[in-house]
Amino acid sequence: MAVVKKVIRVGAPKPNPFTICIIANPVLEAPWNSGSVAKDPLIGQLAAFQAAAAYIDSALFGLLPGERENLLADPILMPFIRVVSLYDDSLPTTLSNALVAQDGSSNILVARRTAFLPFLANYQIDADVAYAVSASATHTRASAWFTTDDDARSGVPFTLDGNPFVHCYYNTIPGTVAIPVTANSLTALHEFGHAISSYSNGKILDLYVDSPAALNNKVGRPIPPLFCNYQGASFSTDSLRDGLGYPPSWQSYHCELADPSCPAVMDDYWQSTKGSVACLHDIVTKAFIKDRVAAKISRP
Amino acid sequence: MQPLKPNEERSVLENNPQAQPSDLEEYERLLSLRFTEDPDQRPVASPQQEDEADVDLGREARIQQLHRKLFRAATAPARESAR
Repeated sequence: MAVVKKVIRVGAPKPNPFTICIIANPVLEAPWNSGSVAKDPLIGQLAAFQAAAAYIDSALFGLLPGERENLLADPILMPFIRVVSLYDDSLPTTLSNALVAQDGSSNILVARRTAFLPFLANYQIDADVAYAVSASATHTRASAWFTTDDDARSGVPFTLDGNPFVHCYYNTIPGTVAIPVTANSLTALHEFGHAISSYSNGKILDLYVDSPAALNNKVGRPIPPLFCNYQGASFSTDSLRDGLGYPPSWQSYHCELADPSCPAVMDDYWQSTKGSVACLHDIVTKAFIKDRVAAKISRP
Repeated sequence: MQPLKPNEERSVLENNPQAQPSDLEEYERLLSLRFTEDPDQRPVASPQQEDEADVDLGREARIQQLHRKLFRAATAPARESAR
């Protein structure tokens, strides 16, 4: 069978469209950083991979049953986003083909982020965000690394709390996600939130733990009414944490929600009383992701 | 990082009486923190970076310690019954 490359969404008719790539992970490193490798059980299961790719695409574009977060379905973004899936069952079981590792201290799948760029170059794919899907028998929890921006090249400038940043056009390492073939609900969308964000120009963090300061999380007590100023607009604080409540030991606080009756997508969406797929991004996270994707779409 | 489902949290704590909710909270916080830092910016080239590398090593050791505590029942080999 060898290579099955499928264009799920064509995207902008240009040489370098904003691209999301979904890859069947060929090889697993187990444990992470051991150098020990084995063939990923997903190889040989093309139908399962294609179902996972369809799920990821649906989650990203608001197409899951009951899903309400549809930021990438915006008509100014969606037609310009290219989505491709890649399955190759002919690859040798080598470390360079291992895009996913099994964490030795949890059941988390970890993207081997530096392996993606050379791997995708073999297929002439430049990705902005890349998902590697695994059928690991033991590790069933997704994770993501932020994008490493190419800060030496240009982009669209923005301000956050008066400080200058750039929505960079290009990356040196794409945002990378390791995700189980069994993933469901908003998991693919949650991980996209991490992966599209940037080490140098705005990190989007987990809101279900007491996280450090970042674009979508601030630290300190008492909680102030103003969360941040992004691009000249003021955003309020979510003083209650969407009904989940801030544990007394926490220093974190979050941005106001689009719907206060549901946790944010980057928070614990499983806890939503309306069902996990009803969750929306908080307001500044949504604005940031839309602007960042729009900037990359507009690159020359 | 994908949040734990409520039933997964319950299962961990019910199956491991030695584990406390605060252990699970710390474990989850440290795992999430791992993904906030660029793993490819950790070469030890200056005293400051050496300090940061020590922090990473300390965090990973603590994650392993908590993992053993939280998942000991699930990962321990079956014991022979007492005679």
